[in-house]
Amino acid sequence: MNKKKMGLVAKQNAAGWVFLAPASIMIFIMSFYPMVEAFITSFKTGSSANMQWADPITYNYTRMFQDKLFMTSVGNTFLYLLIQVPIMLVLAILLAQLLNNKDLKFKGVFRTCVFLPCATALVSYALIFKSLFATQGLVNSVFVSLGIFKENFNFLGTAWSAKMVIIIALIGRWTGYNMVFYLAGLQNIEYSVYEAAKIDGANGWKTFWGITVPLLRPVIIMTFIMSINGTLQLFDESVNLTKGGPANATITMSHYIYNNSFGQGVANFGYASAMAFFVFILVAILAVINLKVGDTRD
Amino acid sequence: MKKKMMSLVLTGVMAVSMVATAAPAMAAEGSATGDHTLSVFAWDANFNIPALKAAEADYQANVDPDFVLNIVEQSASSDVENAVTLAASSGDYSQLPDIVLFQDHYIQKYVADYPDAWVALDDIEIDWSDFGEEKLSYSTINDVHYGVPVDNGTAIFAYRVDLLEECGYTIDDLTGCSWDEFIEIGKKAYETTGKYLLSMDGSGNDLPYMLLQAEGASQFKDGEPYITENETMVQIIEKIVEMIQSNVLYLGNDWSDYTDQTIIGDMVAGVMNGNWIIPTIEQVPENSGKWEITTLPTLEGGKEGYASNGGSSLYITGNCQNVDLAKDFLAKTFGGSTATYDAALKDGGVITCCISAGQSDVYNEGVEYFNGQPIYTTIVEMGSHVIPVEQNDYHYTCRQYIGSAIQQILEGADVESALADAESQLRFAMGL
Repeated sequence: MNKKKMGLVAKQNAAGWVFLAPASIMIFIMSFYPMVEAFITSFKTGSSANMQWADPITYNYTRMFQDKLFMTSVGNTFLYLLIQVPIMLVLAILLAQLLNNKDLKFKGVFRTCVFLPCATALVSYALIFKSLFATQGLVNSVFVSLGIFKENFNFLGTAWSAKMVIIIALIGRWTGYNMVFYLAGLQNIEYSVYEAAKIDGANGWKTFWGITVPLLRPVIIMTFIMSINGTLQLFDESVNLTKGGPANATITMSHYIYNNSFGQGVANFGYASAMAFFVFILVAILAVINLKVGDTRD
Repeated sequence: MKKKMMSLVLTGVMAVSMVATAAPAMAAEGSATGDHTLSVFAWDANFNIPALKAAEADYQANVDPDFVLNIVEQSASSDVENAVTLAASSGDYSQLPDIVLFQDHYIQKYVADYPDAWVALDDIEIDWSDFGEEKLSYSTINDVHYGVPVDNGTAIFAYRVDLLEECGYTIDDLTGCSWDEFIEIGKKAYETTGKYLLSMDGSGNDLPYMLLQAEGASQFKDGEPYITENETMVQIIEKIVEMIQSNVLYLGNDWSDYTDQTIIGDMVAGVMNGNWIIPTIEQVPENSGKWEITTLPTLEGGKEGYASNGGSSLYITGNCQNVDLAKDFLAKTFGGSTATYDAALKDGGVITCCISAGQSDVYNEGVEYFNGQPIYTTIVEMGSHVIPVEQNDYHYTCRQYIGSAIQQILEGADVESALADAESQLRFAMGL
């Protein structure tokens, strides 16, 4: 009756728990605990040194719907989402299809070229776009010398063009990233399927819609969810490219949340946390819809 | 064996880097009682830091030879604000230095939000009447002084006299003129020279505030926003929009666009801002001798406009263990010492708002870049005319919404509804 002796399975289980423990504890301390704290904070208001329960308790949550600037930021974020994500994903899938061609020469070079923007830091690529589209920047010089523009146009100082620049920058950076997923998906499709389609007389367009897209479906859904999630949390481009400007016309939700918590002289942590939870709920809802639409098992 | 060596090296590197990151935080800690050392957070190596070094040298030479001022340079003013927010939010002030340099427009909100983070200067030996009244109105909260002014935010209007001459004008035509006359001259200047007569940062638009102050008006009245019903405010916004539309005023996209493109990039024939903009103007050596400064136009004309924008003061923090030394140091340097202010001006271009210190020989010297004009004494003199206007914790929030309104008007919204929008958003942000 030696109780120190453990069975083999129990031993292995114990070892498993030991391996899991450090990461789990870290996730709890670094992620879940702050989330709970942020949720509590979202019901408080006042200076960060002396936070009080809001009165009424849902004040921060009702406040955001009356906050025109927050609504502008929600509108901007969805505008980026609706325009950028479809264009980007279609481009990515087309590029992946092109670069998956067996007979294409220098495949590696092309793939690297498309993927390379993803390897650049968010800040540096945003700054590169900022200087490209500056009033005295490359794009203006080219357009003016080609005679398309009469005089230099202030891209980042005009609301609609600043939004456009952000969308172009996003597409430039993230298309390659999504393309890599599609490439991986495409490589899992047996070439014989295409051959069979060819024998049956299907042209390129028909094979694309009849074979590639259905077989890539899980990957497409995954990239969709990831892109939606990423765009809803869009921050770097708004901060570095336009600083939310001109005069907050291009600000995103995350940027506005940041401004409310760490912006100069504000430290409005209660309100910022409440808005962060709003974004969290939005992401969750969209992800669930996406999964439901994409799930064909039942 | 090799692996072991490798891991040892890696551990070593990690340990060193951890110590290295911990080191600056240690340096910031407050001094102990009876010490001769004070620590201070400040930003701008070309402006504020030389001023603090000047004060340190002055105190060493004239009071305490063992005195050491430990200046911890921050990359921007927001770093100091964040440090105070962090310390106050966590209730742990031990990471704060003895003294911080703090932006004037933020201090009222910070004292209101974090009263424990500051030390009142009620018994400091400084003759407050020797300072510009407007400047002190920031650091005085409920009649209690909290800060000692370092610089002077008096707004100047600098013009390229050579370009004005090309258009047939002199700087005298622009001194005491009305904004309508200014716009006429500006149009002519743009036609003749292709340069704008004024530029500003469109995202942090300080023009409405300064133009209002030149009229003696404020964006706030009795602690509430005063925008749509403020006739002066509406007129000023209309003038600003007119200036943009007639190519007299150019709005940069952000601060660096404003300084680097419009001023250093030589796009403008005029610069109006707090006088701390002078070092930026001076960064174009080939324009030396072509600039001169004067006061602001006003709506009515016939009188000169005086305003102020930005600037900062020194504040003792709640972490200071040696308040007596800190007070003595501030009183005997920035409290009115000519030695400190002369050296601060020479080394950093920091202009005082201390009236007696602004009369020294150094201040009366002509400045070559500004066509030999004795600009420093002019600025101190101008500073004494600035009318104090009602300040508010929400200064920058207000600036942001008014800036958005201007943007909306430029995109076709009408002035009244855009300003009403701004006012309602500002009231909302203020919790009114």
